[in-house]
Amino acid sequence: MLTPLLLIPLVGAIAIGFWPGLTGKQARTGALVVSALPLLWTIWLFIQFDLSFGGFQFHEFLPWLPALGLNYELSLDGLSLLMVALNSLITWIAIWSSAPDIERPRLFYSLLLLVSAGVAGAFVAQNLMLFFLLYEIELVPLYLLIAIWGGEKKAYAATKFLLYTALSGALMLAGFLGTVWLTGAKDFTYYAVMGHELPMVWQVVLLGLLLVAFGIKIPLVPFHTWLPDTYVSASTPVAMMLGGVLAKLGTYGLFRFGLGLFPDAWAELSPYLAVWAAVSVLYGAITAIAQKDIKRMVAYSSIGHMGYVLLGGAAMTDLALTGAVSQMVSHGIILAILFHLVGVIEAKVGTRELDVLNGLMNPVRGLPMVSALLVLGGMASAGIPGLVGFVTEFLVFQGSYAVYPVQTLLGVIGTGLTAVYFVILLNRTCFGKLDNAIAYFPKVTFSEKLPAYVLASLILFLGIQPNWLVKWGEPTASAMLAAIPIAIDTVVADEVIEALPPAVDPSEALPTEPVLVPVASLPSLP
Amino acid sequence: MTPILAQTSWLIPLYPLMGALLTIPWSPAMIRRTGPRPAGYINIVMTALALTHSLLAFLAFWGKSSPQFFFAPWLNVAGLNLTIPLEASAITLGACVLITTLNLLAQLYAVGYLEMDWGWGRFFAMMALFEAGLCALVLCNSLLFAYMLLEILTLGTYLLVGFWYNQSLVVTGARDAFLTKRVGDLVLLMGVLAIYPLAHTWDFRELAAWAQTANVDPGLITLISIGLIAGPMSKCAQFPLHLWLDEAMEGPLPSTILRNAVVVTTGVWVLVELEPVIALSSTASAFAIAVGTVTAIGATLISAAQIDVKRVLSYLSSAYMGLMFIAVGAHQPGAALLLALVYALGMAALVMGAGSIIINITTQDLTQMGGLWGRRPVTALAMMVGAAGLVALPPLGGFWAMLSLVSGLWDSDRGLLVAIVLLVNWLTAFSLARLIGLIFAGKTQQMTIRAPEPLWLIVLPMAIVAGFTLHLPLVMAQLHLLPAWAEVSQDMALLLTWSSILGAAVGTLLYVNRVVEHPAGLVKKPLQNLLAYDFYTPKLYRNTFVLGVDMLSRLTDWLDRYVVDGVVNAVGLASLFSGETLKYGNTGQLQFYVLTISLGVALLGVLMNWHALTALF
Repeated sequence: MLTPLLLIPLVGAIAIGFWPGLTGKQARTGALVVSALPLLWTIWLFIQFDLSFGGFQFHEFLPWLPALGLNYELSLDGLSLLMVALNSLITWIAIWSSAPDIERPRLFYSLLLLVSAGVAGAFVAQNLMLFFLLYEIELVPLYLLIAIWGGEKKAYAATKFLLYTALSGALMLAGFLGTVWLTGAKDFTYYAVMGHELPMVWQVVLLGLLLVAFGIKIPLVPFHTWLPDTYVSASTPVAMMLGGVLAKLGTYGLFRFGLGLFPDAWAELSPYLAVWAAVSVLYGAITAIAQKDIKRMVAYSSIGHMGYVLLGGAAMTDLALTGAVSQMVSHGIILAILFHLVGVIEAKVGTRELDVLNGLMNPVRGLPMVSALLVLGGMASAGIPGLVGFVTEFLVFQGSYAVYPVQTLLGVIGTGLTAVYFVILLNRTCFGKLDNAIAYFPKVTFSEKLPAYVLASLILFLGIQPNWLVKWGEPTASAMLAAIPIAIDTVVADEVIEALPPAVDPSEALPTEPVLVPVASLPSLP
Repeated sequence: MTPILAQTSWLIPLYPLMGALLTIPWSPAMIRRTGPRPAGYINIVMTALALTHSLLAFLAFWGKSSPQFFFAPWLNVAGLNLTIPLEASAITLGACVLITTLNLLAQLYAVGYLEMDWGWGRFFAMMALFEAGLCALVLCNSLLFAYMLLEILTLGTYLLVGFWYNQSLVVTGARDAFLTKRVGDLVLLMGVLAIYPLAHTWDFRELAAWAQTANVDPGLITLISIGLIAGPMSKCAQFPLHLWLDEAMEGPLPSTILRNAVVVTTGVWVLVELEPVIALSSTASAFAIAVGTVTAIGATLISAAQIDVKRVLSYLSSAYMGLMFIAVGAHQPGAALLLALVYALGMAALVMGAGSIIINITTQDLTQMGGLWGRRPVTALAMMVGAAGLVALPPLGGFWAMLSLVSGLWDSDRGLLVAIVLLVNWLTAFSLARLIGLIFAGKTQQMTIRAPEPLWLIVLPMAIVAGFTLHLPLVMAQLHLLPAWAEVSQDMALLLTWSSILGAAVGTLLYVNRVVEHPAGLVKKPLQNLLAYDFYTPKLYRNTFVLGVDMLSRLTDWLDRYVVDGVVNAVGLASLFSGETLKYGNTGQLQFYVLTISLGVALLGVLMNWHALTALF
């Protein structure tokens, strides 16, 4: 059920790379077809997914290297499902928005598909070592994608990205090894609340390792400096993949392995995590205001928005965690549309400098439709209601306010600052007077606008009908919190939480013994 | 027929929304052959439909006390069940009638005013969006959805003010409008988030019921109430969040009609709905009164010192909103709504009149106007009617609204506030008399020599609004909004009337009869500048918030580039440098390698046997 998600892009990548005599155009068509298949497969998964069950579904198991505890084990819950969907969608969009006359097209498309396969695998991996392997494997194609097709300073950016992420991988490996050895588990299979029995000190140390590891990947301040360089140097499709999908590996790992393995330590640290989130939000937003390059501005905006995800996770309420999971998706969609539009503007106008750009809204000689879509994307990012960004941020705020009021209010201020830099961006690029002397821009074709149309309609549709987004993550978020063995009431003792109808029967939610249920033994649904 | 229309009154916002969507084919490059005009006509028809529907539904509800509620499910997640509650009652549908009427007239006006413009599709779509948002706001009965609509309208303001986006003043105006309103919205969002754990509801009626029996920490509820007031403060352009309204005048004038007449009152509407909550905290009520007072007095003073016709009107808008803030703070929500009603018509007539002047004398500078009475009698009459309807001049609407406010204030022993309202009324009368005097009286100047009445599309809506303003007392009587003559506090009525007459008389003497050569000279220069430059608030903003955020962003950017990233790059450089340095250790001499190895082995041996060694000695 899940293997096609990895296998199709992998086989496709090999085929596109090695099929004799393939032209660039054929490679592009092939890549589009190959990436459309997992997208269709994901839609089928959505249809088959059992919403009433918050745990893992579609389980697959194949012994690989049992001696090392490494098995090919895949499974999927609501969190993974949303991430897989985001990956399939953004991959297709990224391939579509690649320049048709790109250099070395066969290598480019096959590397992009390879990244997609690795990421999809990481999102459904049920084995810590398998997750680690896939997490590391996608680094290689990404390094090449940045280093070969990047813009200025591409070698520097690619190396920086590689070093940072390799460090993140090493820390994560240390965390995983420590967890498995200290708990005495017989292999690397993922169990929820695995670290519960460890002494608190060890839990905090191991969680700390994972926090830094995934903090680099997300990234959170101060581990973020690879991000602006990398996002800006990467070509548009690669930036879309990096910001839209790869960053989600970080938050996914944080929730799956940080919150999932060490809930006690997570609860212990959560006030600091909330502060960290608020700092990240404000830092990203304030720094974005000072940027003079629109791509860099969008890159910094990503740092701020990922902070909301951590805030939702730190609050540990059903609502906030659901909001955080949904925020991961909405951030992916919004960032992808922004990077795409910035890429189109750069390709047509030839610059990304705020001080040079002007008046693109001009209906005759400017880029009116691109400007209109940029307004939509920017406003979605700034959290205007009716667009998807608002819904998810609001859920995070509403869920975390009862627990961490101050940090939440700081987050609200962050959305205000987001509005400031997007207004600067829109005022400088879209508004103003177009200089007629230089305004001989090539026409933007429909095909170049199509990715933005797709993403914009998703932004609008999910903003107006948010149930379609949040319902997938909700049971999983509830299940993840319900699996936490300690009485989390001590942390979230607030009348709101008590007043809300509990999603799970409290007697089930708070068993006296920690439940160590191997995923393989869970009822696997068709 | 009518019961069906009453039961489907939730459809009202959907007509203009549909109109807005239907303009899409005329946005650039899709339909070119017809030009953009059909987009406008479609929207006018849609607005007319919305008006008809809301009028019929209003008549069906009038006289019946029980409102009807509709619920639409929106989002149900993790115990948070968000349903959109809509309330159809005489008041909400009456507000819809007002909004759709004014928008219909403003759109007709726009057909004349923006005749030569190419951006019709965008303009009418935005006007329709505003109409839809406003109708939804008045029908909607929930704080959360009201907040969401206000935010969408904030975006609408940005796009509508930025309509002529290639002019730099328009761009800054749009930016300031958006950011100021957004600041208010976000503080409101904080209030929205904070009140839920206490009240467990965002439904206005349930909030009011909760506030009856609520037992909450006074400090907390004060903070929350002030947060809830902050959103309306920015919408209503109250000090110190008032600057945007004046800059927003750079947008197209037909949109200004809608904005100054009804959009600004959205804040008051929300505030009226929240009045029971705000009443929980006396500090917050006092805060609302203080903000309203400062704005009302300050803005009328400023308006009397402006030479830009649009600015005079925009500051008067702020001032009237200030009066409504006072009304809400003094727990007189009914008076606030009544004032909003008469204000909307009076201000619409004034703005339409101003537009009718501006369009063919092509200046907004009052000092370049004069002597238009003979050439523009219809406009003059419309503006005079609008002014008379705005100030407390019996028997027109403004008088009754002010009277209800002042009587209420007097009955609750707030003599000082009565004096303030009288003062504001006096100043408003003066300012309006000055405005009308400067435009219509005196000698003609270069700009005003050739100034006929404009196109009928501009004159007709203006005359209709003026007619509505004149007939408003009759309508109010019909709707039983006027007090019985026996209950009228005659002292208050006299005081109000005299304050208006005195203000108008002083204005007329100074600016029509010109008893003084230079009336502005009566005021000392520094004070004159203080008022003309809006108490220097723009400068204050620039030197505090804007500067602060700018400095902070530069500082973090610098930190980011040179400290956070600097450390990373330093580590990288250090490793490269040490590698470069160490490579010179490769001498190729065997002795050196053997020595290094043996030293290393010895060191390791000592370390590993440390325990044994220490035991030995």
